[in-house]
Amino acid sequence: MSADPSGPGAMPSDPSHERASRLEGLLAHPLLWRAGHAARQPVWSSGFSRLDEGLPGGGWPRSGLIEVLPARFGVGELKLLLPALAALTTRPEARWSAWVAPPLSPFTPALAAAGVELSRLLIVRAQGRECLWAFEQALGSGACDSVLAWARHAPPRQIRRLHLAAQRGNALGVLFRPRASVREASAAMLRVAVEPLERGVRVTLLKSRGGARGALDLTWDAASTGAGGGP
Amino acid sequence: MRARRTIDLFARSDERPSARGGQVLETHGHEAARGAGERSPRPTVPQPQVARRSEVLPPAGGASRAPATELWVGVHLAGAAAQRAPQGLQRLALRALRFTPRVSLAPPDGLLLEVRASLHLFGGVEGLRRALRRECADLALAGSLAFAPTPLAALAAARCECALVLQDAARLIGSLAPLPLRALRWPQEALDRLASIGVRTIGQVLRLPRAGFAQRFGAARLADLDRLTGRAPDPRERFEAPVRFRRRRELPCESASHGQLTAALAPLIEALGRFLEARQCGVLAVECRLWHRHAEPTRCVLRLAAPLADAARLAELLGERLRMLALPEPAHTCELRAGEPVPRALCSCGLWQSGEHGGLPEARGSAFIERLRARLGPEAVQGLAVVPDHRPEAAGRVTEPGACWGTATPRFPASPATSRQRVSEAQPIPPGRSPPRDLPLRDRSFAPSRIASGDFAAARPLWLLPVPRPLRQRGGLPRYRGALRLESEPERIETGWWDGRDIERDYYEAVDVHGRRLWLFRERAAPHRWFLQGVFA
Repeated sequence: MSADPSGPGAMPSDPSHERASRLEGLLAHPLLWRAGHAARQPVWSSGFSRLDEGLPGGGWPRSGLIEVLPARFGVGELKLLLPALAALTTRPEARWSAWVAPPLSPFTPALAAAGVELSRLLIVRAQGRECLWAFEQALGSGACDSVLAWARHAPPRQIRRLHLAAQRGNALGVLFRPRASVREASAAMLRVAVEPLERGVRVTLLKSRGGARGALDLTWDAASTGAGGGP
Repeated sequence: MRARRTIDLFARSDERPSARGGQVLETHGHEAARGAGERSPRPTVPQPQVARRSEVLPPAGGASRAPATELWVGVHLAGAAAQRAPQGLQRLALRALRFTPRVSLAPPDGLLLEVRASLHLFGGVEGLRRALRRECADLALAGSLAFAPTPLAALAAARCECALVLQDAARLIGSLAPLPLRALRWPQEALDRLASIGVRTIGQVLRLPRAGFAQRFGAARLADLDRLTGRAPDPRERFEAPVRFRRRRELPCESASHGQLTAALAPLIEALGRFLEARQCGVLAVECRLWHRHAEPTRCVLRLAAPLADAARLAELLGERLRMLALPEPAHTCELRAGEPVPRALCSCGLWQSGEHGGLPEARGSAFIERLRARLGPEAVQGLAVVPDHRPEAAGRVTEPGACWGTATPRFPASPATSRQRVSEAQPIPPGRSPPRDLPLRDRSFAPSRIASGDFAAARPLWLLPVPRPLRQRGGLPRYRGALRLESEPERIETGWWDGRDIERDYYEAVDVHGRRLWLFRERAAPHRWFLQGVFA
């Protein structure tokens, strides 16, 4: 299970060290989850090196639901995800990236300029209750790498279902909700508040399963340097 | 080789009586028809003319083999009817099945019916002719009819609009002789070569030596002539009326509940699945009709992206569609109708799941899109594409999901912005205006390729309002829920006269009181109004 560092001709290591390394190997098993050490689960790099350091595991989770709570629509919450989306959609084995109920129409030249492969993008128009239904279908279908949804109301029980659907479909679900819903309980793995700054955003990790909480400031110039390194 | 020499000899001797009447021509036709094939094993000794004659004379020769018992009607759609022939032909063939089960299509514009056994049922040839003309007139098709003992002869006569009625196979060749050769629809090159040796009618070509003809014009042409004269059989593929699935079922009690309706539909869907399975086909559209006591029947149409035969998937999709349905009153009967069965490509299941290494990305994608569309409507799921256009509202387009961007054509109704664009595209370029020779240098955004290549990443918003929103202003400056701070130098985007949507705007980036970056423009025309068009997000 664990790679033995010593070659065949090396001296046998002492028993206690061997036991520790075996224990490390056992603990490295992907099915084992340790609180405070959530790095076991695979992630997508967010494209911002500072944000990657703050996020549990070093990036956005590959499967599971995260919540983004912008102060207002359009303060930079989408730009925060664009480097990751660009990396996701340009992979050769990329699945769909579905956008459920976006409040406005995405401007395609800007998306293309940000490196997002438009042919992998699905826009799903849904209203009211259908929005969360379509979100859950897209998450659980197994056909999407990432699903973004804009919803006004999302009951906690529903969020729990969405998270399970995301894990079932091995997809990253991003739910954009108004800032007012910060007080509601949520089963999302990660809750991120986004506030605008001059040429950047302040990202506050409100809830981060297995990671540190706190705020960090990002500038858009940093994205261009960090966006190249895909997962 | 030997045989050909023999026939050539005969043919040369045949040239003499060419000026005789129809009866003789027919004899010669038989002569030509009975030429090489049957006599080729014979010795090369040139036969005396008497012996040859005596062989041809008995009329019970090749011509009477099959066609004596058959009578074909050739229908040729002419003129405007030929333009929409494929559909017209199908519909006429469906109607023609009333007269005889032996109907064949001769695409693109011909139809054949074998009517020997039906003659006495429809008042003989005249009665049948009248009935067929009425059917053509019903469908607004202009057709010419001809009756002949072989299908090709009937068709050739119909193509010449020669109202031939010939039941007697013995007179076939004589009747065909005056028809022009083009009725056979041979390649123009062959017709030209035949015309250059003075052969323009069917009678003339039947008088040519067989083997020489086959060598010069191909065995296929000779086979055509054999089928025309009835010497060779001419089996025709029968036209089968398309079979469609349609089944009704009464509900045990009147109900409007989704659960009871789907339960009642389940056996019908299962039967549809078996029906399709047996034919190795799938359907592209399924309609479910619900009959009410008073109200009009409710129709619920499910359209599919790819041919589908899986009953479970059909039930799931139809269930989603029914869930969205508002019934005026409880239904007492349900009916399932399927569209035309179309052949579907059977594919093997993948070993890996989609998304895994080696898995097919599309395999489950279409199922998920179909489920969303079944519930939200076909326009609800769309892809996006870039249009190389400098005007922001014309630079995006909706497409079929996954279509290659920039090249595909949209198949669904576009968003308001794009549909407006399409309407205006129909307008002609105003007269007296020509394209600009040299573009002004300050017009940075004119080159569309630069937009697509991402030169303007920083200057373009991620979200676009479907329609620019007029802003209030105070002191010449725009306001949007408070004062706006203009951040950038103006960027001028203008022109668009070629499709009637000329713009003249100065674009600015602005920050509102909440710190959002907005994309505004100011019209250069007289009122100088301000509009909000995008959000940078």
